[in-house]
Amino acid sequence: MDAIIQGFTMLFHVQNIFLIIGGVVIGVIVGALPGLSSPMAIALLLPFTIGLDPVAAISMMAALYCAGTFGGSITAILINAPGAPPAVATAFDGYPMAKKGQPGKALGLATIASVIGGIFSLIIFIFATPLLASIALKFGPVEYFGLAVFALSMLASMSGKSSIRNLIAGTIGVLLATIGVHLATGVERFDFGIEELSEGIHFVPVLIGLFAMSELLTQSQTLNAAVERMSAKTLKLPTWKELKVLKWNILRSSSLGTFIGILPAEGSTVAAMMGYNEAKRWSKTPEKFGTGCAEGIVAPESANNAAAGGAMVPTLALGIPGSGTTALILAALVMHGFKPGPYLITETPHLVYAIFGAMLIANFGFLGIGLVGAKVFSYVTFIPKRFLWPSVFVFSLIGSYSFSSSFFDVWVMLLSGIIGFFMMRNGFSPAPLVMGLILGPMVEETFTQAMVIHDSSFFQFFDSGVFIIFMVLTLISLSSPFWSDIAKLFKTKK
Amino acid sequence: MALKKKIKSKSMPDYSGMGLFHKKDLNIAILLIAVGCFLFYEATKFPPPGMILGDTINADVFPKILVVILIFLAAVIPFEFRFAGPKIKKIDKDREERIEPITWKTLAFLITIVLCSTFLGTILTMIATCLAFPIVWGERRYIAVAIYAMLFPLGVYLLFNKLLSLYFEPGLLKLFQ
Repeated sequence: MDAIIQGFTMLFHVQNIFLIIGGVVIGVIVGALPGLSSPMAIALLLPFTIGLDPVAAISMMAALYCAGTFGGSITAILINAPGAPPAVATAFDGYPMAKKGQPGKALGLATIASVIGGIFSLIIFIFATPLLASIALKFGPVEYFGLAVFALSMLASMSGKSSIRNLIAGTIGVLLATIGVHLATGVERFDFGIEELSEGIHFVPVLIGLFAMSELLTQSQTLNAAVERMSAKTLKLPTWKELKVLKWNILRSSSLGTFIGILPAEGSTVAAMMGYNEAKRWSKTPEKFGTGCAEGIVAPESANNAAAGGAMVPTLALGIPGSGTTALILAALVMHGFKPGPYLITETPHLVYAIFGAMLIANFGFLGIGLVGAKVFSYVTFIPKRFLWPSVFVFSLIGSYSFSSSFFDVWVMLLSGIIGFFMMRNGFSPAPLVMGLILGPMVEETFTQAMVIHDSSFFQFFDSGVFIIFMVLTLISLSSPFWSDIAKLFKTKK
Repeated sequence: MALKKKIKSKSMPDYSGMGLFHKKDLNIAILLIAVGCFLFYEATKFPPPGMILGDTINADVFPKILVVILIFLAAVIPFEFRFAGPKIKKIDKDREERIEPITWKTLAFLITIVLCSTFLGTILTMIATCLAFPIVWGERRYIAVAIYAMLFPLGVYLLFNKLLSLYFEPGLLKLFQ
């Protein structure tokens, strides 16, 4: 109880409230702008938060994460260009409804579904996090290694174009994390005589490069693309009667979204797509989906916002990110000196409650912003690319330099961006690489500890029942993306 | 119907006449395997840990395992189109679109700016970026560009340097101090 009071007290400082609201506004803007995304915004903000109070910094990012997920729906509905991947499914029915002359209603449905989904998942978050952490506290290095391997294997089914490529990107991420001095032995690895590499590659410039620079290069390909815009004069909240009809849909999608969010590596995009598909499957009028029906808007919106809260559970309780964005929040926790995982809740419980509070405020924050500023945010899409992206580059430059006042980091940022651009063109997603880079040290640390305990015998790991469970789950997770492909292959051969 | 088929075959690559490998993916696989082999070779050169640590902890074990996984996964890529055809078709569609000249120009511009930033310093780099970047991208409203190049760096300077006390490299401005 003391921790709850302490967490909320820390949150209700004027500066912290200001930062959280700032996070919400930035989140809605970056979410709304196609090309900009909440992971990119968090990556860009990360170096600038070093001087801030850690609780305030993490709370701001958590608020940005929530609002960014919602922000994507604005452009999905108004210009049929989802500002963020989780809003892709919202465009299926949101844009047709806007085209029918009801953009305000579509935005209202998306807002209210997002708020309900977000709050639903936060309730689960506040109960599930300590519970999961208490289980994880019983884990030794072997079990933790098994869990980390399982989390990495989930990259295979992460939203992306190819499971194999996701795994390759994840492996490259873990490999990058091995650069520099090996803490257990003091051996310098893969530094190739470059002094700066002996300290390892820090994730901040890599994150900025992968999320901001590669997107900048991608955007340069579509400078003259024309979009049809619709402006929403006011946001029209659904009536009580309309909500009553949609209540089971919202509840089902929120539960599904929270569950998917809790699964390591599964993010809001998967949740939104599954929410949409399930809503269509359960609907009495599935033929109306895609024509601008309310069900098709509330399902993905409640699911993707619920996934945002759900994804925080493994991030904080286990130190295993639930999505690409939470991987960045995990990075922020590490940067501010916290140790994500079960000890976070035993040693700094107030932080967990502060994050919970920040996300709660964020959910009401974007409801308020949506009501007051729907029209303003619809204008955000009018910012010309030729001024927007140079600004992103300036932030990337300053952010990567200021992190350790080193131009080497600026080159790392630029190189990561160029590599990221070519990776994306060839079907490799940057999110698995980031997760690999952030999880890498933990994987190696637990692996080394487990090897020491078991006298360098890997097979003794299987003495642990929990480890066996994680390995079975890993096998299932690795093979699951191929089941449908292989089934299709057999069908066509027959 | 025939037209539909024609459009479909034009918009999505057809693999019916494809050989054993996917050529573009084979190139990627070769690159990844070559990098993997090089890293494996580098890992073999890591010095052994001190005697006190014995054989239980070796700095090369973990990276070697990762490299082997990487090589194994990379070797699968050229065949991926055989069991995950639709997904690879989507990727092929993306990479069939040629990289626009503006992207190469942007890349060259970014490298130049980063090269210059070491002696220009933070503020001048910001101004140069805001002035030149929109023009490189085809912006012709020069007054708007000039206003942007003055106001945006000023805003960033006030927010980050003055308010958040972030260190800005003076660079060339040092000469005027």
